[in-house]
Amino acid sequence: MRVVVGGWFTLPRLGRDAFALLMKQGVVYDKEMGFKLDPASDVRGAVRTIRSATGEEVEVDLRCFLCGRVACPGCPYVSVCDRTAVSSLCLCEEHSRDGSAFEAYGRAVRAGLS
Amino acid sequence: MWVEKYRPKSSGEMIGNEQARFALWTWLSEWKPGGKAALLVGPPGTGKTTMVGLFAKEAGMNLIDLNASDARTKERLRVRIGEAINATSLLGERSLVFLDEVDGLAGRSDYGAVEFIKDAVKQSRNPVVMAANDPESDEVRKLSSSTILVRFRPPPPREVEMLLREIARREGLSPDGEELRGYVVGAGGDVRNAINSLQSRSRDRALTYKDTAPSVVEAFAAFFDAKDGGEAAAALRRVPLQPLEKVRELQRSVVSSGLPPERLAAALKVMSEVDLLMGRIMKSGGWRMLRYLDRRLEEDLQPLVRGVKYSQEDLPFPVLLRIWNDSRRIRDVSERYAARAHTSGRSARSQDLPFVFALCSDKGFREGLEEALDLDEGYDKLLQKEAAR
Repeated sequence: MRVVVGGWFTLPRLGRDAFALLMKQGVVYDKEMGFKLDPASDVRGAVRTIRSATGEEVEVDLRCFLCGRVACPGCPYVSVCDRTAVSSLCLCEEHSRDGSAFEAYGRAVRAGLS
Repeated sequence: MWVEKYRPKSSGEMIGNEQARFALWTWLSEWKPGGKAALLVGPPGTGKTTMVGLFAKEAGMNLIDLNASDARTKERLRVRIGEAINATSLLGERSLVFLDEVDGLAGRSDYGAVEFIKDAVKQSRNPVVMAANDPESDEVRKLSSSTILVRFRPPPPREVEMLLREIARREGLSPDGEELRGYVVGAGGDVRNAINSLQSRSRDRALTYKDTAPSVVEAFAAFFDAKDGGEAAAALRRVPLQPLEKVRELQRSVVSSGLPPERLAAALKVMSEVDLLMGRIMKSGGWRMLRYLDRRLEEDLQPLVRGVKYSQEDLPFPVLLRIWNDSRRIRDVSERYAARAHTSGRSARSQDLPFVFALCSDKGFREGLEEALDLDEGYDKLLQKEAAR
Protein backbone atom coordinates (compact mmCIF):
# COMPACT_ATOMS: atom_id res chain seq x y z
CA MET A 1 0.00 0.00 0.00
CA ARG A 2 1.11 3.56 -0.65
CA VAL A 3 0.78 6.23 2.00
CA VAL A 4 1.28 9.92 1.27
CA VAL A 5 2.61 11.92 4.22
CA GLY A 6 -0.01 14.55 5.00
CA GLY A 7 -2.75 12.65 3.13
CA TRP A 8 -5.61 10.54 4.54
CA PHE A 9 -5.58 6.79 4.07
CA THR A 10 -7.67 3.92 5.33
CA LEU A 11 -6.59 0.73 7.01
CA PRO A 12 -8.42 -2.50 7.65
CA ARG A 13 -9.55 -3.00 11.20
CA LEU A 14 -6.46 -3.17 13.38
CA GLY A 15 -6.28 -4.69 16.81
CA ARG A 16 -6.61 -2.45 19.83
CA ASP A 17 -2.89 -2.63 20.57
CA ALA A 18 -1.86 -1.68 17.02
CA PHE A 19 -4.31 1.23 17.02
CA ALA A 20 -3.06 2.47 20.40
CA LEU A 21 0.52 2.21 19.16
CA LEU A 22 -0.28 4.26 16.05
CA MET A 23 -1.84 6.96 18.23
CA LYS A 24 1.25 6.94 20.41
CA GLN A 25 3.35 7.32 17.27
CA GLY A 26 1.49 10.53 16.48
CA VAL A 27 -0.70 9.22 13.66
CA VAL A 28 -3.84 11.35 13.27
CA TYR A 29 -7.17 9.49 13.24
CA ASP A 30 -10.55 10.72 12.09
CA LYS A 31 -13.60 8.47 12.06
CA GLU A 32 -14.72 9.80 8.68
CA MET A 33 -11.42 10.34 6.92
CA GLY A 34 -9.25 7.55 8.31
CA PHE A 35 -5.57 7.90 9.25
CA LYS A 36 -2.99 10.54 8.45
CA LEU A 37 0.77 10.79 8.95
CA ASP A 38 1.68 14.36 9.72
CA PRO A 39 5.02 16.11 10.39
CA ALA A 40 4.80 15.35 14.11
CA SER A 41 4.25 11.62 13.50
CA ASP A 42 6.94 9.06 14.02
CA VAL A 43 6.66 8.00 10.37
CA ARG A 44 9.18 5.17 10.59
CA GLY A 45 7.53 3.70 13.69
CA ALA A 46 4.03 4.05 12.20
CA VAL A 47 5.09 2.31 8.98
CA ARG A 48 6.51 -0.55 11.02
CA THR A 49 3.29 -0.82 13.01
CA ILE A 50 1.09 -0.80 9.90
CA ARG A 51 3.32 -3.36 8.21
CA SER A 52 3.19 -5.77 11.11
CA ALA A 53 -0.53 -5.25 11.74
CA THR A 54 -1.64 -5.69 8.12
CA GLY A 55 1.15 -7.85 6.73
CA GLU A 56 1.37 -5.49 3.74
CA GLU A 57 4.41 -3.64 2.44
CA VAL A 58 4.05 0.10 2.99
CA GLU A 59 5.52 2.64 0.54
CA VAL A 60 5.68 6.22 1.76
CA ASP A 61 5.36 9.14 -0.68
CA LEU A 62 6.01 12.82 -0.07
CA ARG A 63 4.17 15.82 -1.48
CA CYS A 64 5.72 18.72 -3.34
CA PHE A 65 6.12 21.73 -1.08
CA LEU A 66 5.40 24.10 -3.96
CA CYS A 67 2.39 22.53 -5.69
CA GLY A 68 1.13 19.80 -3.34
CA ARG A 69 1.39 17.01 -5.93
CA VAL A 70 2.84 13.66 -4.95
CA ALA A 71 6.53 14.12 -5.60
CA CYS A 72 8.06 10.65 -5.55
CA PRO A 73 7.02 8.99 -8.86
CA GLY A 74 9.91 9.32 -11.30
CA CYS A 75 12.29 10.75 -8.70
CA PRO A 76 15.91 9.79 -9.43
CA TYR A 77 16.56 9.44 -5.69
CA VAL A 78 13.73 7.00 -5.09
CA SER A 79 16.08 4.08 -4.40
CA VAL A 80 18.32 5.98 -1.96
CA CYS A 81 15.82 8.25 -0.21
CA ASP A 82 14.48 6.89 3.08
CA ARG A 83 11.11 8.63 3.03
CA THR A 84 10.35 7.55 6.58
CA ALA A 85 13.41 9.44 7.83
CA VAL A 86 13.49 12.67 5.80
CA SER A 87 11.32 15.73 6.38
CA SER A 88 7.75 15.47 5.23
CA LEU A 89 7.71 17.65 2.08
CA CYS A 90 9.85 17.52 -1.05
CA LEU A 91 9.83 18.90 -4.60
CA CYS A 92 8.12 17.34 -7.61
CA GLU A 93 10.00 16.66 -10.84
CA GLU A 94 8.71 19.79 -12.53
CA HIS A 95 9.70 22.11 -9.71
CA SER A 96 13.04 20.46 -9.04
CA ARG A 97 14.03 20.96 -12.70
CA ASP A 98 13.03 24.60 -12.61
CA GLY A 99 16.09 26.88 -12.53
CA SER A 100 14.34 29.32 -10.21
CA ALA A 101 13.19 26.63 -7.76
CA PHE A 102 15.25 28.05 -4.89
CA GLU A 103 13.66 31.48 -5.26
CA ALA A 104 10.18 29.99 -5.47
CA TYR A 105 10.96 27.83 -2.47
CA GLY A 106 12.16 30.82 -0.42
CA ARG A 107 9.02 32.78 -1.38
CA ALA A 108 6.77 29.89 -0.32
CA VAL A 109 8.60 29.57 3.02
CA ARG A 110 8.32 33.30 3.69
CA ALA A 111 4.62 33.19 2.79
CA GLY A 112 4.12 30.30 5.21
CA LEU A 113 5.90 32.19 7.98
CA SER A 114 4.02 35.44 7.56
CA MET B 1 34.38 27.57 3.09
CA TRP B 2 31.14 27.44 1.19
CA VAL B 3 29.31 25.85 4.11
CA GLU B 4 30.04 29.05 6.05
CA LYS B 5 29.47 31.36 3.11
CA TYR B 6 26.04 29.85 2.40
CA ARG B 7 24.97 29.33 5.99
CA PRO B 8 21.30 30.42 6.13
CA LYS B 9 20.95 34.07 7.09
CA SER B 10 17.19 33.90 7.40
CA SER B 11 14.72 31.11 8.07
CA GLY B 12 13.63 31.36 4.43
CA GLU B 13 17.08 30.25 3.28
CA MET B 14 16.99 26.95 5.14
CA ILE B 15 15.87 23.77 3.42
CA GLY B 16 13.77 20.89 4.77
CA ASN B 17 11.44 20.73 7.77
CA GLU B 18 9.07 23.29 6.25
CA GLN B 19 6.07 22.27 8.35
CA ALA B 20 8.19 22.07 11.47
CA ARG B 21 9.34 25.63 10.84
CA PHE B 22 5.78 26.83 10.32
CA ALA B 23 4.62 25.05 13.48
CA LEU B 24 7.40 26.58 15.54
CA TRP B 25 6.84 30.07 14.12
CA THR B 26 3.11 29.86 14.85
CA TRP B 27 3.83 28.69 18.38
CA LEU B 28 6.30 31.54 18.91
CA SER B 29 3.97 34.18 17.48
CA GLU B 30 1.06 33.06 19.63
CA TRP B 31 2.92 32.29 22.83
CA LYS B 32 1.72 33.95 26.02
CA PRO B 33 3.06 33.57 29.60
CA GLY B 34 1.84 30.28 31.03
CA GLY B 35 1.82 28.72 27.55
CA LYS B 36 3.48 25.43 26.67
CA ALA B 37 7.13 25.14 25.73
CA ALA B 38 8.23 23.77 22.35
CA LEU B 39 10.32 20.61 22.18
CA LEU B 40 12.37 20.12 19.01
CA VAL B 41 13.43 16.53 18.50
CA GLY B 42 15.70 15.34 15.74
CA PRO B 43 19.17 14.07 14.88
CA PRO B 44 22.18 16.41 15.05
CA GLY B 45 22.71 18.59 11.99
CA THR B 46 19.03 18.95 11.05
CA GLY B 47 18.96 22.67 11.81
CA LYS B 48 17.30 22.86 15.23
CA THR B 49 19.80 25.26 16.78
CA THR B 50 20.23 27.32 13.60
CA MET B 51 16.51 27.74 13.24
CA VAL B 52 15.96 28.84 16.84
CA GLY B 53 18.70 31.45 16.42
CA LEU B 54 17.21 32.75 13.18
CA PHE B 55 13.68 32.85 14.58
CA ALA B 56 14.84 34.80 17.64
CA LYS B 57 16.55 37.29 15.33
CA GLU B 58 13.55 37.61 13.02
CA ALA B 59 11.13 38.00 15.93
CA GLY B 60 13.37 40.71 17.44
CA MET B 61 13.96 38.64 20.55
CA ASN B 62 17.04 38.22 22.66
CA LEU B 63 18.21 34.58 22.57
CA ILE B 64 19.22 33.01 25.88
CA ASP B 65 21.04 29.84 24.95
CA LEU B 66 21.50 27.27 27.73
CA ASN B 67 22.77 23.76 27.58
CA ALA B 68 20.91 21.44 29.93
CA SER B 69 23.76 18.95 30.04
CA ASP B 70 26.18 21.65 31.24
CA ALA B 71 24.31 22.14 34.50
CA ARG B 72 25.84 19.37 36.58
CA THR B 73 23.73 19.89 39.69
CA LYS B 74 20.13 20.72 40.39
CA GLU B 75 21.20 23.94 42.07
CA ARG B 76 23.14 25.01 38.96
CA LEU B 77 20.17 24.14 36.79
CA ARG B 78 17.81 26.03 39.11
CA VAL B 79 19.94 29.18 39.03
CA ARG B 80 20.55 29.13 35.27
CA ILE B 81 16.98 28.40 34.25
CA GLY B 82 15.57 30.66 36.95
CA GLU B 83 17.53 33.61 35.59
CA ALA B 84 16.58 32.86 32.00
CA ILE B 85 12.85 32.39 32.41
CA ASN B 86 12.51 35.66 34.28
CA ALA B 87 14.92 37.67 32.15
CA THR B 88 13.68 41.03 30.94
CA SER B 89 15.63 43.75 29.25
CA LEU B 90 15.59 47.45 30.13
CA LEU B 91 14.41 48.25 26.62
CA GLY B 92 11.50 45.85 26.90
CA GLU B 93 13.07 43.43 24.44
CA ARG B 94 11.56 39.95 24.81
CA SER B 95 13.74 36.90 25.25
CA LEU B 96 13.57 33.41 23.82
CA VAL B 97 15.04 30.77 26.11
CA PHE B 98 16.70 27.88 24.30
CA LEU B 99 17.46 24.85 26.41
CA ASP B 100 19.55 22.54 24.28
CA GLU B 101 20.29 18.83 24.82
CA VAL B 102 17.58 18.14 27.37
CA ASP B 103 18.20 14.45 26.69
CA GLY B 104 21.68 15.07 28.13
CA LEU B 105 20.09 15.17 31.57
CA ALA B 106 20.26 11.37 31.51
CA GLY B 107 21.85 9.88 34.58
CA ARG B 108 20.91 12.89 36.68
CA SER B 109 17.17 12.41 36.35
CA ASP B 110 17.22 10.99 39.88
CA TYR B 111 17.05 14.49 41.29
CA GLY B 112 13.93 15.30 39.29
CA ALA B 113 15.50 17.61 36.71
CA VAL B 114 12.73 16.99 34.18
CA GLU B 115 10.01 17.76 36.72
CA PHE B 116 11.92 20.88 37.69
CA ILE B 117 12.11 22.04 34.06
CA LYS B 118 8.40 21.37 33.57
CA ASP B 119 7.54 23.52 36.60
CA ALA B 120 9.95 26.26 35.55
CA VAL B 121 8.42 26.41 32.07
CA LYS B 122 4.94 26.92 33.54
CA GLN B 123 6.16 29.98 35.44
CA SER B 124 8.26 31.39 32.62
CA ARG B 125 7.79 34.95 31.44
CA ASN B 126 9.60 34.04 28.23
CA PRO B 127 8.88 31.36 25.64
CA VAL B 128 11.08 28.30 26.14
CA VAL B 129 12.28 26.06 23.33
CA MET B 130 13.95 22.80 24.22
CA ALA B 131 15.90 20.54 21.90
CA ALA B 132 16.84 16.89 22.06
CA ASN B 133 18.48 14.42 19.69
CA ASP B 134 17.02 11.17 20.90
CA PRO B 135 13.23 10.82 20.51
CA GLU B 136 13.31 7.62 22.58
CA SER B 137 15.00 9.15 25.62
CA ASP B 138 13.18 9.19 28.95
CA GLU B 139 13.46 12.97 29.09
CA VAL B 140 11.71 13.42 25.75
CA ARG B 141 8.97 10.99 26.78
CA LYS B 142 8.40 12.81 30.04
CA LEU B 143 8.43 16.25 28.44
CA SER B 144 6.40 15.48 25.33
CA SER B 145 3.04 15.50 27.11
CA SER B 146 3.49 19.05 28.38
CA THR B 147 5.15 20.56 25.30
CA ILE B 148 4.48 21.17 21.62
CA LEU B 149 6.54 18.42 20.00
CA VAL B 150 8.19 19.40 16.72
CA ARG B 151 10.15 16.75 14.84
CA PHE B 152 13.19 17.64 12.79
CA ARG B 153 14.49 15.37 10.05
CA PRO B 154 17.16 15.61 7.36
CA PRO B 155 15.94 17.32 4.16
CA PRO B 156 15.00 15.04 1.23
CA PRO B 157 17.70 14.63 -1.46
CA ARG B 158 15.84 16.71 -4.06
CA GLU B 159 15.91 19.74 -1.78
CA VAL B 160 19.63 19.25 -1.19
CA GLU B 161 20.09 19.15 -4.97
CA MET B 162 18.09 22.38 -5.28
CA LEU B 163 20.41 24.06 -2.77
CA LEU B 164 23.54 22.78 -4.55
CA ARG B 165 22.20 24.04 -7.88
CA GLU B 166 21.63 27.47 -6.36
CA ILE B 167 25.14 27.58 -4.84
CA ALA B 168 26.64 26.46 -8.15
CA ARG B 169 24.70 29.21 -9.95
CA ARG B 170 25.95 31.87 -7.54
CA GLU B 171 29.52 30.57 -7.92
CA GLY B 172 29.22 30.66 -11.71
CA LEU B 173 29.41 26.87 -12.09
CA SER B 174 27.14 24.77 -14.26
CA PRO B 175 27.30 21.14 -13.14
CA ASP B 176 24.81 18.84 -14.85
CA GLY B 177 22.05 16.99 -13.01
CA GLU B 178 24.01 13.75 -12.93
CA GLU B 179 26.99 15.41 -11.27
CA LEU B 180 24.82 17.12 -8.66
CA ARG B 181 23.04 13.85 -7.91
CA GLY B 182 26.45 12.26 -7.36
CA TYR B 183 27.25 14.85 -4.67
CA VAL B 184 23.86 14.44 -3.02
CA VAL B 185 23.96 10.64 -2.92
CA GLY B 186 27.63 10.60 -1.91
CA ALA B 187 26.90 12.91 1.01
CA GLY B 188 24.34 10.44 2.39
CA GLY B 189 21.82 13.16 3.22
CA ASP B 190 24.31 15.47 4.95
CA VAL B 191 23.94 18.97 3.51
CA ARG B 192 27.38 20.10 4.68
CA ASN B 193 29.07 17.13 3.04
CA ALA B 194 27.21 17.77 -0.20
CA ILE B 195 28.29 21.44 -0.23
CA ASN B 196 31.88 20.44 0.57
CA SER B 197 31.85 17.94 -2.31
CA LEU B 198 30.60 20.59 -4.70
CA GLN B 199 33.31 22.97 -3.56
CA SER B 200 36.08 20.42 -3.77
CA ARG B 201 35.13 19.52 -7.36
CA SER B 202 35.45 23.13 -8.41
CA ARG B 203 39.13 23.35 -7.51
CA ASP B 204 39.94 25.54 -10.47
CA ARG B 205 37.52 28.16 -9.21
CA ALA B 206 37.74 27.92 -5.46
CA LEU B 207 40.11 26.70 -2.82
CA THR B 208 39.02 23.70 -0.80
CA TYR B 209 39.34 23.36 2.93
CA LYS B 210 42.38 21.16 2.45
CA ASP B 211 44.04 23.90 0.44
CA THR B 212 43.56 26.52 3.12
CA ALA B 213 43.78 24.50 6.33
CA PRO B 214 47.15 24.24 8.05
CA SER B 215 48.85 20.87 8.40
CA VAL B 216 48.99 19.20 11.81
CA VAL B 217 52.60 20.33 12.23
CA GLU B 218 51.83 23.97 11.36
CA ALA B 219 48.76 24.09 13.59
CA PHE B 220 50.59 22.65 16.63
CA ALA B 221 53.58 24.91 16.00
CA ALA B 222 51.18 27.88 16.07
CA PHE B 223 49.69 26.57 19.32
CA PHE B 224 53.08 26.24 21.05
CA ASP B 225 54.20 29.65 19.78
CA ALA B 226 50.96 31.46 20.67
CA LYS B 227 51.51 34.59 22.75
CA ASP B 228 48.16 34.54 24.54
CA GLY B 229 45.04 32.46 25.11
CA GLY B 230 43.27 33.94 22.07
CA GLU B 231 46.04 32.93 19.69
CA ALA B 232 46.27 29.50 21.32
CA ALA B 233 42.52 28.99 20.94
CA ALA B 234 42.61 29.97 17.27
CA ALA B 235 45.54 27.62 16.61
CA LEU B 236 43.93 24.74 18.46
CA ARG B 237 40.70 25.12 16.48
CA ARG B 238 42.66 24.75 13.26
CA VAL B 239 44.35 21.48 14.21
CA PRO B 240 42.87 19.05 11.67
CA LEU B 241 42.56 16.14 14.10
CA GLN B 242 39.84 14.53 16.17
CA PRO B 243 39.83 15.66 19.85
CA LEU B 244 41.31 12.40 21.17
CA GLU B 245 44.13 12.46 18.61
CA LYS B 246 44.74 16.12 19.44
CA VAL B 247 45.19 15.28 23.13
CA ARG B 248 47.52 12.37 22.32
CA GLU B 249 49.69 14.52 20.06
CA LEU B 250 49.96 17.21 22.74
CA GLN B 251 50.80 14.59 25.36
CA ARG B 252 53.60 13.26 23.15
CA SER B 253 55.06 16.74 22.66
CA VAL B 254 54.87 17.52 26.38
CA VAL B 255 56.58 14.26 27.34
CA SER B 256 59.48 14.82 24.96
CA SER B 257 59.65 18.59 25.48
CA GLY B 258 62.73 18.69 27.72
CA LEU B 259 61.04 21.27 29.96
CA PRO B 260 62.51 21.98 33.41
CA PRO B 261 61.15 19.38 35.91
CA GLU B 262 58.76 21.73 37.72
CA ARG B 263 57.15 23.05 34.54
CA LEU B 264 57.04 19.56 33.09
CA ALA B 265 55.30 18.25 36.22
CA ALA B 266 52.73 21.05 36.04
CA ALA B 267 52.14 20.44 32.31
CA LEU B 268 51.77 16.68 32.85
CA LYS B 269 49.30 17.34 35.66
CA VAL B 270 47.16 19.41 33.29
CA MET B 271 47.46 16.70 30.63
CA SER B 272 46.35 14.01 33.07
CA GLU B 273 43.29 16.06 34.03
CA VAL B 274 42.56 16.68 30.36
CA ASP B 275 42.90 12.95 29.75
CA LEU B 276 40.38 12.20 32.51
CA LEU B 277 37.96 14.73 31.03
CA MET B 278 38.43 13.25 27.54
CA GLY B 279 37.63 9.81 28.93
CA ARG B 280 34.49 11.15 30.55
CA ILE B 281 33.41 12.81 27.29
CA MET B 282 34.02 9.63 25.29
CA LYS B 283 32.12 7.54 27.81
CA SER B 284 29.11 9.82 28.18
CA GLY B 285 28.96 11.23 24.65
CA GLY B 286 28.82 14.70 26.22
CA TRP B 287 30.61 16.39 23.31
CA ARG B 288 29.59 19.81 24.56
CA MET B 289 32.19 19.38 27.30
CA LEU B 290 34.88 19.57 24.62
CA ARG B 291 34.79 23.33 25.03
CA TYR B 292 36.07 22.92 28.63
CA LEU B 293 38.74 20.57 27.41
CA ASP B 294 39.90 23.12 24.83
CA ARG B 295 39.80 25.85 27.44
CA ARG B 296 42.07 23.84 29.76
CA LEU B 297 44.53 23.33 26.92
CA GLU B 298 44.48 26.99 25.90
CA GLU B 299 44.54 28.60 29.33
CA ASP B 300 46.26 26.09 31.60
CA LEU B 301 48.56 24.07 29.37
CA GLN B 302 49.70 26.56 26.76
CA PRO B 303 51.47 29.03 29.15
CA LEU B 304 53.46 26.08 30.53
CA VAL B 305 54.53 24.72 27.16
CA ARG B 306 55.06 28.00 25.29
CA GLY B 307 58.04 27.66 22.97
CA VAL B 308 58.05 23.84 23.00
CA LYS B 309 58.66 22.17 19.63
CA TYR B 310 55.91 19.93 18.28
CA SER B 311 57.19 16.36 18.40
CA GLN B 312 56.02 13.54 16.21
CA GLU B 313 58.45 11.19 17.91
CA ASP B 314 57.00 8.56 20.17
CA LEU B 315 58.84 7.03 23.08
CA PRO B 316 60.97 4.07 21.92
CA PHE B 317 58.82 0.95 21.61
CA PRO B 318 60.69 -1.08 24.30
CA VAL B 319 60.10 1.79 26.76
CA LEU B 320 56.43 1.96 25.84
CA LEU B 321 56.13 -1.79 26.20
CA ARG B 322 57.67 -1.65 29.66
CA ILE B 323 55.28 1.14 30.70
CA TRP B 324 52.24 -0.77 29.41
CA ASN B 325 53.41 -3.99 31.03
CA ASP B 326 54.06 -2.35 34.40
CA SER B 327 50.68 -0.58 34.28
CA ARG B 328 48.93 -3.87 33.60
CA ARG B 329 50.73 -5.58 36.48
CA ILE B 330 50.05 -2.75 38.93
CA ARG B 331 46.37 -2.88 37.96
CA ASP B 332 46.46 -6.61 38.59
CA VAL B 333 48.10 -6.16 42.03
CA SER B 334 45.57 -3.48 42.97
CA GLU B 335 42.63 -5.70 41.99
CA ARG B 336 43.95 -8.63 43.99
CA TYR B 337 44.66 -6.33 46.94
CA ALA B 338 41.19 -4.76 46.69
CA ALA B 339 39.57 -8.19 46.79
CA ARG B 340 41.55 -9.13 49.93
CA ALA B 341 41.06 -5.78 51.67
CA HIS B 342 37.36 -5.49 50.72
CA THR B 343 37.86 -2.14 49.06
CA SER B 344 37.49 -0.82 45.54
CA GLY B 345 40.27 -1.08 42.98
CA ARG B 346 40.37 2.69 42.71
CA SER B 347 40.80 3.37 46.43
CA ALA B 348 43.33 0.54 46.63
CA ARG B 349 45.37 2.24 43.89
CA SER B 350 45.07 5.76 45.23
CA GLN B 351 45.07 5.28 49.00
CA ASP B 352 46.57 1.97 50.10
CA LEU B 353 49.08 0.83 47.52
CA PRO B 354 51.48 3.80 47.77
CA PHE B 355 52.07 2.81 51.42
CA VAL B 356 52.09 -0.90 50.66
CA PHE B 357 54.68 -0.37 47.91
CA ALA B 358 56.81 1.72 50.27
CA LEU B 359 56.83 -1.17 52.75
CA CYS B 360 57.95 -3.53 49.99
CA SER B 361 61.56 -2.41 50.48
CA ASP B 362 61.48 -4.93 53.32
CA LYS B 363 62.06 -8.37 51.82
CA GLY B 364 59.98 -10.18 54.45
CA PHE B 365 57.00 -7.90 53.90
CA ARG B 366 57.32 -8.23 50.13
CA GLU B 367 57.36 -12.02 50.24
CA GLY B 368 54.38 -12.04 52.62
CA LEU B 369 52.47 -9.78 50.23
CA GLU B 370 53.31 -11.97 47.24
CA GLU B 371 52.05 -15.00 49.08
CA ALA B 372 48.88 -13.30 50.31
CA LEU B 373 48.01 -12.00 46.87
CA ASP B 374 49.19 -15.13 45.08
CA LEU B 375 51.69 -13.22 42.91
CA ASP B 376 54.24 -15.14 40.89
CA GLU B 377 57.99 -14.41 40.80
CA GLY B 378 57.70 -11.94 37.97
CA TYR B 379 56.02 -9.48 40.32
CA ASP B 380 58.92 -9.38 42.77
CA LYS B 381 60.99 -7.16 40.49
CA LEU B 382 58.03 -4.83 39.98
CA LEU B 383 57.44 -4.52 43.74
CA GLN B 384 61.12 -3.78 44.30
CA LYS B 385 61.01 -1.10 41.60
CA GLU B 386 57.91 0.48 43.09
CA ALA B 387 59.47 0.40 46.58
CA ALA B 388 62.58 2.17 45.28
CA ARG B 389 60.60 5.12 43.83
